[in-house]
Amino acid sequence: MPDLGRLALAIAFVLAIYSICANVFGARRSRPEFVASARHALWSMCAMVTIAVAALWTGLLSSDFSLEYVASYSSTTLPTAYKITALWGGQQGSLLLWTWLLTIFTSIAAFQSRRRNPEIAPYAMAVLAGVAIFFLGMLNFVTRPFDLLPVIPAQGTDLNPLLQNYWMAIHPPSLYTGYVSSTVPFAFGAAALITGKLDDGWIRSTRRWAIFSWFFLTLGNLFGARWAYEVLGWGGYWAWDPVENAAFMPWLVMTAYLHSVMIQERKDMLKVWNLALIGLAFSLTIFGTFITRSGVISSVHSFTQSGLGPYFLTFLAFIVTAYTGLLIFRARELRSPAEFESYLSREAAFLFNNLMLIGIAFAVFWGTIFPVLSEAVRGVKITVGPPFFNSVAGPLALGLIFLMGVGPLIAWRRTTTSNLVKSFAAPAILGVATGVVAAAAGLREWYVLTAISLAAFVFGTIIVEFRRGVSARRHMLAEPAPKALVNLVAKNNRRYGGYIIHVGVIVAFVGIVGSSFFKTEVKKSVREGQSFSIGAYQLRYLGLDEDDTAHMETATARVEVSRDGRVVAEMTPAKLFYKREQQPATRVAIRSTPVADLYIVLAGLEPNGNQATFEVFLTPLVFWLWAGGLLMALGTVVVMWPNVRERAAIASAVSRAAPIAISGEAAPGGE
Amino acid sequence: MRFRLRFVIGTALVAGAIVYLITTAIRNTSEYYLTVNEVAARQGQLVGQPLRVAGRVRPGTIQWDPTTLTLKFAMVEIPDPNANPVVKQVSAADPASYSVTCTGEPKPDMLADNRDVIVEGKLDRSRHITATEVLTSCPSKYKPAQAK
Repeated sequence: MPDLGRLALAIAFVLAIYSICANVFGARRSRPEFVASARHALWSMCAMVTIAVAALWTGLLSSDFSLEYVASYSSTTLPTAYKITALWGGQQGSLLLWTWLLTIFTSIAAFQSRRRNPEIAPYAMAVLAGVAIFFLGMLNFVTRPFDLLPVIPAQGTDLNPLLQNYWMAIHPPSLYTGYVSSTVPFAFGAAALITGKLDDGWIRSTRRWAIFSWFFLTLGNLFGARWAYEVLGWGGYWAWDPVENAAFMPWLVMTAYLHSVMIQERKDMLKVWNLALIGLAFSLTIFGTFITRSGVISSVHSFTQSGLGPYFLTFLAFIVTAYTGLLIFRARELRSPAEFESYLSREAAFLFNNLMLIGIAFAVFWGTIFPVLSEAVRGVKITVGPPFFNSVAGPLALGLIFLMGVGPLIAWRRTTTSNLVKSFAAPAILGVATGVVAAAAGLREWYVLTAISLAAFVFGTIIVEFRRGVSARRHMLAEPAPKALVNLVAKNNRRYGGYIIHVGVIVAFVGIVGSSFFKTEVKKSVREGQSFSIGAYQLRYLGLDEDDTAHMETATARVEVSRDGRVVAEMTPAKLFYKREQQPATRVAIRSTPVADLYIVLAGLEPNGNQATFEVFLTPLVFWLWAGGLLMALGTVVVMWPNVRERAAIASAVSRAAPIAISGEAAPGGE
Repeated sequence: MRFRLRFVIGTALVAGAIVYLITTAIRNTSEYYLTVNEVAARQGQLVGQPLRVAGRVRPGTIQWDPTTLTLKFAMVEIPDPNANPVVKQVSAADPASYSVTCTGEPKPDMLADNRDVIVEGKLDRSRHITATEVLTSCPSKYKPAQAK
């Protein structure tokens, strides 16, 4: 099997090179048979990488420790599910997963482009094949998944205990799917620059890809946060660690891109900006892989430091230089005839939303690389921690939320004051009223008051939009309200799906603010039978259960939770000890309610007696972060749902020669 | 054309505000990230400053009182793995050592003799650090796999 895997990767590498040559030659000489051959080569490349993945999975499942990778990241006692997820437990395997996804997406994009975009598609395929060459080159020559060990060990080192859980099984694939699928819009953007076909055809052809990528970046970040919350046992879910930042930056830039392309589709503006954003989003995915693999930036997550850094940095430098060069080369042709006319317009709201998003992304970037920069410039390493990121992202998030309420309701081009009052009076009153009620209820932090007022304002604007749409259908089509609502969303899924995403953002934002400002923490060392309290809860340590298997030792504390003298739950936080790694780990106990999460960590056990140390967190509203995240995902599904009218719009956009603004069909709504 | 100019000014103002936010935040929240020997070399100017210090737990110095959640240990420079062992012996004759006290936090699972740690806190008087947090890095012999 290892030989088969190695051979498959080598063939895939050759096919990728062939595909670039055939695509470019076929497109330049107008020889469609070469473009078709290149397409077949891409499909074969995908098949080859699939064989390699199957070979590595076979090795993992059969515990073939002659493979260095299997010996390093698996063991015979590892549960089968984690043998499967061990494919992305280590560096070579995760690069293989990345490459596999890339070749799958490339194949799908090639299939979609069979008859579409004859001018730019071959170049987009060539760019995709070029990215594949880099990753296949790494797998063939630099970090090989099928390297053999000279001496076959009897047992493997096992998968890192922190990765042996459900969230780590789904978090990396989600994030990778998000990362890798951004390559498709990037490739089409680059192809538009190469060919000079600079109308919005490339955006429309890859709009679904961009949303798909955003969907998985959202889920990837959400699952990562959930993993940190459930597994790491520090009571939080986000620490602004370089690794988290690496996943967050592409999400921010992709969010900006999804909004600003609407202005280009509608107003034929911001062409350079959109091309720059998609280039930036793709570069940040490579940058993220670079910082997490190179060891240049120290992270609390311990990484296998490896020699991959220089390769990724070179690749990144090449992409940024080549892409920027193309942008400058086409700068004259990209000039837009249209101009901004008023600050009180939707395009202005979108522009400032973009500035805020990119501002946050830049701050995150700056804070992440600051230690390296300060060491290079001043000779001393200076770090910035969560306070830095919070103090920048916090205010900008408020600005974003505000614009989120304004953008969808304000008119294109310009708005009159009376229109403004008409659209925003009710939501503004709702926002202010919410703030006043909250202040009367005793809330004093200005940030929290502003945040919930803005959240209520945005929620109000969305209600207004839904009401307007439903009542129009009721009057014009005489539909009953529930039917009108369903049809409204179904017929304009892009617009109303976007609103659902916005509601999700608001809900998640409330969860973030609540859990950040009102978290309480108690640390206590107690003997069996003793009690202590946090908030309204009384906790009593009942005793310890111990368990011992071949894989790990477990010590589980039984904690009785009562409230107002009534027992509400028994919670069982545990301490684990993974034998093969000689590594301790913790299993937290969480009791989640919409009001607050009770989160108990068994932080220490004293060897001498029956004493245990607990770390307990009471985190209000954190439930709503996860709920909001799921709502965002749901809204994205609604947006992505196939829509007949939009297909027609794409078909006409890509077959048309000159860029003409599309009429009201498939109207880009607030997203 | 007139509006175009006004627009550029508005955009620049917002961008400027963001840059201002970033620079002030950096000034207010940055802390030195040093090794034990680097702290020793700048001892005088660092007293009272927020610090992150990387070092290694000196064997036999860990004291842990679970009833008051008080942890004490001493830390020394992490030896350079590439250094010539003979030279290392000589330079280790008088290694800089800092005592660390951390109160109110549970003892980290991985804290043990000769483990590498990152201590966050303040250098309050000569050779003593009052820590708000002690982070342990994974022991170097076990190579953790991280999939992200």
